[in-house]
Amino acid sequence: MRKAARATVHLGLAAGLTFGSYLFITMILLAVAGAVVVVGLGVLPETVLLMRRMASAKRRQVAAWTGHEIPEAYLPIRGRLRESLRVATHDPCTYADLRWMVAHYVYGWMVLLALPLWPAALLVDGVRHLLGRAPAVLPLITRLADTEARWSTALLKPPPKARLAERVQRLTTTRADAIAAHGAELRRIERDLHDGTQARLVALSIRLGLAKRAYDRDPETTRRLLDDAQDQVDQALTELRHVVRGIHPPILTDRGLAGAVRALAASSGLDVTVDVAALEDGTRPPAAVESAAYFIVAEALTNAAKHSDADRAEVRLVKEAKALRVVVRDDGRGGAESPTTGSGLVGMRRRAAALDGEFTMTSPEGGPTLIEVVLPCGW
Amino acid sequence: MRLVIAEDNALLREGLVMLLTSAGHEVVAVAGSGPEILPALLTHRPDAAVLDVRLPPGFRDEGLRAALAAREQLPGLPVLVLSQYVEQSYAGELLGGGASGVGYLLKDRVGRVDEFLDALDRVATGGTALDPEVVTELLTNRRDSPLDSLTPREREVLKLMAEGHDNTTIASTLVVTERSVSKHIGNVFLKLGLPPSDSGHRRVLAVLAYLNNA
Repeated sequence: MRKAARATVHLGLAAGLTFGSYLFITMILLAVAGAVVVVGLGVLPETVLLMRRMASAKRRQVAAWTGHEIPEAYLPIRGRLRESLRVATHDPCTYADLRWMVAHYVYGWMVLLALPLWPAALLVDGVRHLLGRAPAVLPLITRLADTEARWSTALLKPPPKARLAERVQRLTTTRADAIAAHGAELRRIERDLHDGTQARLVALSIRLGLAKRAYDRDPETTRRLLDDAQDQVDQALTELRHVVRGIHPPILTDRGLAGAVRALAASSGLDVTVDVAALEDGTRPPAAVESAAYFIVAEALTNAAKHSDADRAEVRLVKEAKALRVVVRDDGRGGAESPTTGSGLVGMRRRAAALDGEFTMTSPEGGPTLIEVVLPCGW
Repeated sequence: MRLVIAEDNALLREGLVMLLTSAGHEVVAVAGSGPEILPALLTHRPDAAVLDVRLPPGFRDEGLRAALAAREQLPGLPVLVLSQYVEQSYAGELLGGGASGVGYLLKDRVGRVDEFLDALDRVATGGTALDPEVVTELLTNRRDSPLDSLTPREREVLKLMAEGHDNTTIASTLVVTERSVSKHIGNVFLKLGLPPSDSGHRRVLAVLAYLNNA
């Protein structure tokens, strides 16, 4: 009974949307007619955006009934009129949405079939209930809603071409990001070497030069200069180690990702449970994936210790068919999306995006924080 | 002599000051950024300036630009520019227009204290000090030129000449007599088609002009 009621609500909402699309189709006809006389061209992108909003609302409504999300693959409409017009008219989704709308015109009124069923259901199923039989009419209402949802799902699924277009769009963006991030990284390394190691070595050279000059006449000064020089060497080496670690952590080369993550966990200051069994058989993802996974785990653990006041954390590396999944969970106070901890998160997202990976984080106020990254790779 | 230096890295600043004062020079002002250089030079009117190329605020070529600006306002001010990397075009800009009393050295050379102080003296007295790496680049970046007809010894002489050394230094560096150095130089000028020139700064400029244009 309750399910049938929900089904009716679903169908009712569908009818509401259908009424909306009646208005809308009138509008779009006006826009198309207007486009002929050029004036309406300006309205077209807005119209397509509105249609997208209606289709999105419908997707959510269907998802609420079926429990299955319907993906979207719209190309972003933005920029100048010419550009947004091009996208609006070239996006295969525009035509798919239009098709759905016209079809919905017809099948959107199923609630009209469902409503008359209710008196019949109350009568027939009431009697059947008294006779101890299962209801026969109420499930029909549910079936109606199911049918409506199935048709909508089929019509609202983005066409393969649209998915492809959306993917190209995404790859273009992430590729540009990756190139920018790479450039910034090179500049940072150059600065570190220029201001740190190179300067240190010059200072060291000066000490040695002065020591040589003082060698014969002033052994005391010579000794002091040599002591200074040795300190400079130690510091130059320390700085060089930091720079090298920032480029490619040597432990990744030595121990692989599993060993490197264990080392990170050990030095994080947290009680970390590490599950890297998937990689213990010696298989190794490509170097770029290892490196990204390493820096993401490092950043996540640093954030957990520094910003979220966690005591415990869990790191898991999972080998999937065509990807490496990295999961980091901590028991801290969450709220990681606040702007103060932004840059580290942006870095993690970038690293994942550069490899066409997915980054998801849930971090409600009060915790816990859960970070999941999927990095595509072959094994 | 009285010197103004510009260096933003505290470590190197301290090292430079130590080195220069130990050699009996006086550092009258230290600039930590590009915009501080010109006022310091105008206030102190030093005998020479030792400037780092890359300085705040932009960390680009502030020191070099300050050097060029300074020489416009204080013609003949000897300027020794230090850099952590060699950029041939920088050397060209400094030496442009037959300038005298300029030097362009890698910072690495500072550790060879005696040679560095010698280069500074040369610049301060109107000579030239060009980093061997710049000269090597000048010599190797060209093909099919009369340079190919030089003997290895003549090339060495040309290189030292281009760095700004006089006959005496060239002779002692190559462990030959000054007379044979003069002979080599004569041959070099002949082979490159340069008019014979007396020793000194004009000779260096002639060689550099040749190398820059060849």
